[in-house]
Amino acid sequence: MIYHFYTNSPKTQTLAYDINGYITFILYVYMNISQRSDSELVSLYITGNEKAFEILVNRHKNRVFTSIMLIVKDEDVAEDLLQDSFIKAIHTMKGGRYNEEGKFSSWISRIAHNLAIDHFRKEKRNPTIQLEDNIKAFNSLSYAEDSAEALQIREETFARLKAMIELLPENQKEVLIMRHYADMSFQEIADATGVSINTALGRMRYALINLRKKMSNQPKVYDQNLYTQ
Amino acid sequence: MIKTFTHNELIQYVYDELPNDVKTNLECALQTDDDLAEECAELLISKRSLERVSKGPRQSCISNILLYSKTFNMQS
Repeated sequence: MIYHFYTNSPKTQTLAYDINGYITFILYVYMNISQRSDSELVSLYITGNEKAFEILVNRHKNRVFTSIMLIVKDEDVAEDLLQDSFIKAIHTMKGGRYNEEGKFSSWISRIAHNLAIDHFRKEKRNPTIQLEDNIKAFNSLSYAEDSAEALQIREETFARLKAMIELLPENQKEVLIMRHYADMSFQEIADATGVSINTALGRMRYALINLRKKMSNQPKVYDQNLYTQ
Repeated sequence: MIKTFTHNELIQYVYDELPNDVKTNLECALQTDDDLAEECAELLISKRSLERVSKGPRQSCISNILLYSKTFNMQS
């Protein structure tokens, strides 16, 4: 019989027992902690492994942040909401209330989505005046190797796409964000929004079709140094 | 007889949520049904555009989260 279990250290131990129950060999398989599944990282974090949490945060930060940015207008607010989401997650995991049945990615995205929607509703009731343009340089590690030009193109692409998503009907936008950035299945979206799975699928279909139409209507951008009008 | 697929099944296929047997049948249908293939291509283009766009928070924001966790861990 072979028992296979993980320890807190970055290695996996495999114990093999013979028919009398004596340990016949112990095999240590070194496994890089960054290769662990989300579920394993959560278990390690709950037992005090901070590195596991760091990997979880870095693994999911961009997708969660993007989903927040598609709901709220301001990057500073989005960062505050991202922090609040992970702080809520810390309290839940450390408080022993984390439900291991679901996916971590869906769970953290749902927390972020709910916080972003709450903020959006509050903002609607009490709008604040924005004094400056939001566009600022990012120093995220994921962009660290990009050139300034690549960064600018990425920023512009994001801004264009965000504008297109904002023009979608609210129910289509909601399904799109939940499926794409919150990593929820259509059944999970249907349950969360109180509609049938066919309705959720239909909304996603129209969202993609509408986005495709909007993309097709976008003017082509040419390098003006090469093409004169 | 060739099965007719619904728009919703096509969306499930694009997002890899179709059961394997239905997926195989749909892939066969895509080879013969031009309208279905065209709609599938349009949906995939939109989906990939969304996948390409991702925005990240500043490193200081991530550092704050990790610091909070460490502090919380020491207190508990």
